[in-house]
Amino acid sequence: MVSARALRVVRCGGGALSGARAVFSADSKYLLCASGDFVKVYSVTTEETLRLMGGHADLVTGIQLNPHNHMQLYSSSLDGSIKLWDFMDGIPIKTFTVGCKLLALYTLASAEDSVFVVIPKKGERDTFQLVSVKLTKGAGQDLEAKELSVVLDGVGASAKQIAFGREGEYVASVKEVNLQVYFFKRKLLNRFSLRAVKTKGGDNQFSCVACHPTEDCIATGHADGKIRLWRNFHHKKEYTYSALHWHHDIVMDLAFSMEGTRLLSGGVESVLVQWHNESSCQKDFLPRLGSPIEYISMSSDGALCCTLHTDNRITIINSNLRFSRSIQGLIKSRDVKTGLVVDPRTKALVMNGEPGHLQFYCLQSDQQLFSLDIVQRQYIHEAGLKQSDLVKVAFSAQGTWLATVEEREEVTDPELELKLWFYEEETQSFKLNTRINTPHDNHITDMCFRDMGELEDDSLILVTTGRDCVFKVWVMVEDTDPEAQQSVSWSCDFVGSYHNYQATNCCFSEDGSLLAVSFEETVTVWDSVTWDLKCMFCHPPGNIRNICFGRLTCSKYLIGATDYGFLCCWNLLTCALEWSAHLNIVVLQPDPLSEHIAAVSWLSKESSLFVFKPNEPRPIYIQRNLCKEKILLAAFVPRDEPETTGSEKYLWLRRSQLFFLTDTQELMTLSTKPLEERLTPSSKQLAVEESLPVTPFSLLLGKHRRQQSQEDIDLGKLVVHNKHEQASPAVKELLHTPAHVLPSASFLCPIFINSLLISKENKSTEEVADEVEMESEKTEDDSDEERDVTEMEQEDTSHMELLGEMTCKLSKSQEKELRKIRKMDYSWISAF
Amino acid sequence: MGEFEVHRVRFFGLVPAGVRCLACQPRGSRLALARTDGAVEVYNFAANYYQEKVIPGHEARTVESLCWATGDRLFGAGLNGDITEYDLSRLSAARGADGGGGPIWSMAANGTGTQLAIGCEDGSVKIFQVIPGGIQFERNLDRRKGRVLCLSWHPSDTHIVAGSIDVFRVIDVTSGQTVQRIMVNYHVEKVKRECVVWAIALLSRGTVVTADSFGRVQFWDWQQGTLAESHTVSTSAVLSLAVAEKEDSIVVGTSTGATYQLQLLPVKLGGSEKRWVRTKPFQHHSHDVRAVAHSPTALISGGLDAQLVIRPLMEKVQKKGYDTVLRKFTFPHRRLVSCARKARLLLFQFSQHLELWRLGSTRETGKDGEVLPLCRMPEHLVQLKSKGPEHIYCSCVSPCGTWLGYSTASRFHLYRVRCDGVSLRKVPKVPKLLLPAYQLQFSADSNSLFVASTRGSVHVLQLLEPGGCKHLHTLRPPSGCSEAVYLLAPSADGHWLAAVSGDWAIHVYNLKSFKHHCVVPTYSCAVSALAIHPSTNNLVIAYSDQQLVEFSIPEQQYTAWSRTVQRRGLHRCWLERDTPITHITFNPKNPSHILLHDTYLFCVLDKSLPLPDDSTPLMNQSTLKQLPETARKRQLHAFKICKKFQPLLFADLLDENSLVVVERPIMDFKTQLPLPVQQKKFGT
Repeated sequence: MVSARALRVVRCGGGALSGARAVFSADSKYLLCASGDFVKVYSVTTEETLRLMGGHADLVTGIQLNPHNHMQLYSSSLDGSIKLWDFMDGIPIKTFTVGCKLLALYTLASAEDSVFVVIPKKGERDTFQLVSVKLTKGAGQDLEAKELSVVLDGVGASAKQIAFGREGEYVASVKEVNLQVYFFKRKLLNRFSLRAVKTKGGDNQFSCVACHPTEDCIATGHADGKIRLWRNFHHKKEYTYSALHWHHDIVMDLAFSMEGTRLLSGGVESVLVQWHNESSCQKDFLPRLGSPIEYISMSSDGALCCTLHTDNRITIINSNLRFSRSIQGLIKSRDVKTGLVVDPRTKALVMNGEPGHLQFYCLQSDQQLFSLDIVQRQYIHEAGLKQSDLVKVAFSAQGTWLATVEEREEVTDPELELKLWFYEEETQSFKLNTRINTPHDNHITDMCFRDMGELEDDSLILVTTGRDCVFKVWVMVEDTDPEAQQSVSWSCDFVGSYHNYQATNCCFSEDGSLLAVSFEETVTVWDSVTWDLKCMFCHPPGNIRNICFGRLTCSKYLIGATDYGFLCCWNLLTCALEWSAHLNIVVLQPDPLSEHIAAVSWLSKESSLFVFKPNEPRPIYIQRNLCKEKILLAAFVPRDEPETTGSEKYLWLRRSQLFFLTDTQELMTLSTKPLEERLTPSSKQLAVEESLPVTPFSLLLGKHRRQQSQEDIDLGKLVVHNKHEQASPAVKELLHTPAHVLPSASFLCPIFINSLLISKENKSTEEVADEVEMESEKTEDDSDEERDVTEMEQEDTSHMELLGEMTCKLSKSQEKELRKIRKMDYSWISAF
Repeated sequence: MGEFEVHRVRFFGLVPAGVRCLACQPRGSRLALARTDGAVEVYNFAANYYQEKVIPGHEARTVESLCWATGDRLFGAGLNGDITEYDLSRLSAARGADGGGGPIWSMAANGTGTQLAIGCEDGSVKIFQVIPGGIQFERNLDRRKGRVLCLSWHPSDTHIVAGSIDVFRVIDVTSGQTVQRIMVNYHVEKVKRECVVWAIALLSRGTVVTADSFGRVQFWDWQQGTLAESHTVSTSAVLSLAVAEKEDSIVVGTSTGATYQLQLLPVKLGGSEKRWVRTKPFQHHSHDVRAVAHSPTALISGGLDAQLVIRPLMEKVQKKGYDTVLRKFTFPHRRLVSCARKARLLLFQFSQHLELWRLGSTRETGKDGEVLPLCRMPEHLVQLKSKGPEHIYCSCVSPCGTWLGYSTASRFHLYRVRCDGVSLRKVPKVPKLLLPAYQLQFSADSNSLFVASTRGSVHVLQLLEPGGCKHLHTLRPPSGCSEAVYLLAPSADGHWLAAVSGDWAIHVYNLKSFKHHCVVPTYSCAVSALAIHPSTNNLVIAYSDQQLVEFSIPEQQYTAWSRTVQRRGLHRCWLERDTPITHITFNPKNPSHILLHDTYLFCVLDKSLPLPDDSTPLMNQSTLKQLPETARKRQLHAFKICKKFQPLLFADLLDENSLVVVERPIMDFKTQLPLPVQQKKFGT
């Protein structure tokens, strides 16, 4: 029944959230964020990602609620289209094609059927204009929006550099040292400019702008941290401004509260500053938000505010400037130096997080589990300041030991520190055990534990390789000092070197008996007991980039990738090259639970994936053009339970799942399942009722309804309810499966009718029928939703698969019924 | 530009007194300023903010408040309890009247300028009538406890607001009763410190604006006594406040040295609701800003750091000009240094003493820019303290260095300097002159002394050996003049004397016959410096609007060069300079050179070279140095400017190739000031 299923690349986290300001839904229950090519819907209360709305072919640059319908959302993208979504259901309602890059989107309640976008000016580089786009009211789903009228010329490319004023009377735009204000009614354009020369550390460059919601006041942020409040800008000469100054560096974003009594500002200091009405110099701070603030947005009821940070964190803040909650998926760090490491204990992905921290990222919930402070030093934001950062991480097989290496970014004399952490069961966290200063004289290039899970603790060995041309072996020793709080500590046991070459990589064989260390062009193999050099391999020219041992049945092979684009497989028994392939391998990752090895190559701007077993030179799986971005890192994460429904072709994915991290720090995985299944059932539907604000009327109505349902139960129509429940899975399945994957109506009709026939309640059937109609309208839209998924096989087959799966889900009794129905003759229906 | 051996003098320890109060002449173009030492100065806006008149202070007379009444009469009141009227033509304190309420903290004139209200230490507010020839006590208003620190009249003259500590009052002028008493701190809970209302203003719509020591500017409704708006502009006290005549703008000064503008702005376009918004902050002072004034086109502030800052409001001025640039005045617009060329002595004038120094000397020579080692250090010869409480008006040392004279408001002293300046002997029996003397000038041969006096007259005294003097003659302008003479310039050959009086007329007298020779055609601006050329007897005049004129005394007309300058016009950069020329001298070696200086530059004007036009840079000395000889010839122009010495208080030529410059580096003088308010600066 299970045929070869399509393998798709699925984005499962990371990416840049900072494409546009986040938007709160009208009731402040949902938070909408542009994330890469998607729009994400988060629940404000549970911090959960409820929906991922994909459909744009490029970065989403702006999202705005439809001012005339708060259940709808406009989004603009670099692909030149504006989409109107029903974000409650995640359905694209309309797509308007504008035809040029859209860099920002604004909506106005007063503008009936047009929105404002920023587009590049034709024929000129780096000049942009603000245009209003008339959204035509056509019947179809895909519409052309070609009616553009230029509002302002010479605007900035960033969405933060334009703001619409009180009731849409004017629009303010800042660029460099100029402020432009255009009054729509009077068709008056006022330009104000500040002095361009930088004096006394002052830099008048504008960075962002916000308009007061009720008064004629414009707030602008500047590169030197000043905030200016402009007034009287109707006059060309008698305009005036006052300045607020707290930030020491560029003001990244500004937002007025709904009544305009407060002004929020944020910048690289990761402090949210709240300025009270300007007559008093009072200001409040919310410090330690973790990372620079990129965008600030306010909810329409003023109860919440949300800051988007440069590292993809979203912080939701109460109106009294109290931290409420934070939504953090994969924290974007400046540079993932540690690589992707899997914590054997929690199966979480571990990598650099905040500066000096190690983040544990839960793949299932797309949330950060926790952040471990490794460097344990205050992070000071200052340009050009050398900070200590985490560069290497290794876990022991059971996850009881964690080794970390941090270094200060000094070119000549790096300040290195090796730390070993022990996992404490009581506190459920890692505790620092040993700290080794300057473990190597130069940068540490690689580090690994001896992976012998089943053996005793004292066989635990850590190997580090350094650019100081040695590798060092560290072992645990009993601590003799009676005052020491711990019983063991780590010390160096052996130092090996090879011809004074820099050691670049190290790797233990599966049984731990052999250690492979690469020294520039050569791979050396050492006995891990006697530390004798057993043999060496070389494949000139080119330095060794990656090495790994084969596993299980292939443990006699050693795989290496070189700079000059060769993938080599050496046989350790014959000490000879088994095979080699010409591939520019960037990532070489063995699956810990099988003999498969995944290699990612980077060639002519595309990443390709090869999965092979070391004993066969022919890869068992090739995926060319995996994604547009460069893949930097990959990791196999063991599955909790092996996937049963894998086809022959994807056997390598049975026990582990492969994750990639791209250079934009987007996390991707390969999945055999359709997208629908990946979403948890709870997130599938957002009840519309739930999203409506609680009004006295709704409370009354709710009371009435509850009473009614109570009466129903009292009437004791238990039988009917039972029947209903029985029928519901089939109906549900029917209703929630996308239309294009459903079998023909004639096939479904009997099941549907049958499930309803037993019911005696007329009213409910009508309701359901209505719903069906509605669904069928929407089904067309559903098909768009999957565009983001790179289908690997033909459409037809996937339909078949889906069908198979759907039927598979039916219970045995239902299947029997189905068979019965199939035998029946329904040809009479066609006569109608 | 010629090479000179420069005596770079930095031992003139002048510390200008801080600005205590400012008063703009209503509907006029003058600004009166009082310093903490009691000196009163008048600046003329029409003449490029020239410091037109200076009335030196008096130990017993402090000025807490100044105001103009009935157009151009200036009154001052101070802690000695007197109200003083200043005679601006005789430059002296004229009549005084006792306030009768102890020290006077504040004074305000009503809208028409016919009445003066004073606020006294004992809490009383008294009204004086301004009558011709003086003032007359009119009545007492309601007296309450607490000194009255500030006062303001309602534009309609019906009410007065008086601010004191923690409270301000609204007083009805006709009934004399307090109609409203408002605690400025009633809404703030548990305030330990007292809140001083430092400045107050009553606007025509009945809004009271107070500035207090908590750093707030508050707006009150005078009828209800309610607080309308409160702006915390500073963490330290707000000391001064001034309202524009249109009442749409307020300037306040704080004790941190910052000034702020508050503007009445509409909340919405076209809406009638208006609100006061704190707009522009300016930080031009390092110390307390004790006084602010609001002219129609500029914000004026004066601080304890002795600076007067005039910040133009760009939106109020129509075209760019001299008025549209920020002006800062720290040093007086006149000479306080005189030089005995032959004896190489310098006389420094302080407010109450004189210092006589001998310049150092060197035997070495060096290249351009080199610092030469001294073989004899400069020597402080004599410090001469003036007797009595009065401050010094003027002083002078004779070119030969053997005579020294100074004058205060009521005394004139002449001394004989002996034995290389080590001892002084007072010249007895100095003739009784009409005092004070506004300017003293010795003739080039040190045989006579010219004393500038009131009513345009100049007394000529003959100096007799070994130590005596005799009144020779009094020179008077033929047409008569009411103003005092403030500048004198004798010619080197002893033939001519040019005198400038307060009405800016320049009279030239023949000293051989003691006759009036001629009048230089009047010009609509103040004369800031003048000198007679030693060989050609041409009078070179610098006006405060930076114009330069050369007038031939024998021919009684402008010279050809002067006409060319007038026709061509001076360079734009020259005309936009900050400060007026304060001294003119000549180089005997090169008759076509005129040496001039103001506070920021020293200039050698070479009449033989072409004048620069606006397209060429005025300051071209540094570029010229890099050019080859032939190209340099083409680039040369008449103005050779050196900005190396700043701020320059005096420059004079000792002989053909040595120059003395007196500098007062701002930092040296800032260290003499009391410590400013401690402020946390980010990054320190």
